[in-house]
Amino acid sequence: MDSAPARGGPQPEPGAPLGLLPLKVMVAGGFGVGKTTFVNSLSEIPPLRTEQEMTSLSVGIDDAVAIPDKTTTTVAMDFGRITVDDQLILYLFGAPGQNRFWFMWDELARGAVGAIVLVDVRRVAESFAAIDYFEDRQLPFAVAINEFPGTTEFPVSSVREALAIPPECPLVQMDARDPRSSLDTLVALVEHALTRSAR
Amino acid sequence: MTDNGHYGWDQGGRVVPAYALTQGRTRTVGPDLPLEALVTATELAVQNLPTLQVERRAIVRMSMQPTSVVEIGAALHVPAGVARVLVSDLANAGFLTVHLPQPTDAVGGPGQEILGRLLDGLRAR
Repeated sequence: MDSAPARGGPQPEPGAPLGLLPLKVMVAGGFGVGKTTFVNSLSEIPPLRTEQEMTSLSVGIDDAVAIPDKTTTTVAMDFGRITVDDQLILYLFGAPGQNRFWFMWDELARGAVGAIVLVDVRRVAESFAAIDYFEDRQLPFAVAINEFPGTTEFPVSSVREALAIPPECPLVQMDARDPRSSLDTLVALVEHALTRSAR
Repeated sequence: MTDNGHYGWDQGGRVVPAYALTQGRTRTVGPDLPLEALVTATELAVQNLPTLQVERRAIVRMSMQPTSVVEIGAALHVPAGVARVLVSDLANAGFLTVHLPQPTDAVGGPGQEILGRLLDGLRAR
């Protein structure tokens, strides 16, 4: 849209909190890699799920096409919230993994602080597409190896090599069930985003 | 939020289809509000609370504290697009103040100052 009418309605009322600013981080990765667990371990609100419309235009080849007159369907997406200070509120969005939902990634990526790509070392190939996507859009990202039982024997360096992760991009081993570990991962991403923006 | 933890919204009680709430509109006029856009209730909304239709009243109640479009959609059990339309209507009526993200760097992300504050805030947790 090229026109930019004033959105957001009238000016703030006196007494309304000033300078509120929403921020967001995308959480990406293959199916079952721990996106929901990661979001829930960090969120201060109960796990929430939103539904987003998907039009037939954006669906492409999809089940919905086979249903006559079905022009829209919805996709569920997990999200969480961290109140950072009295002005900054950070939202975490678990990005739906399947390729047909990539139209939603564009909206989620727009204006984001960055992205966390969760990796299961037993299925690293499922993370290629997400890494490509964020590199293409120059969105800062961190790669997080979510440690499932029996996956600790994979050296981090081999994962960096296998996924062709750029040297400056953080690569951490973590446990998405552990809030401290998830927070450390988020901090690593924001440090990286800050370093990049300072360049 | 209320004692039952659900923004004062009774779950599962909807009898009116979600799109009826927005007269069939699933898109806002003008640019879409981002999912993370925050809203706060205005004084005008508080004064007019009893006159508002039930979903709109629930949104105003939630927005006594800063609340995002995506949280409103989830609490009301409506798709994000419907929440956008309801929020836009309320904002245009002067009942909500919208706080948009303010991209400042070259690729649309938050600038250095904001990232620094975010980092400080996360490290302090």
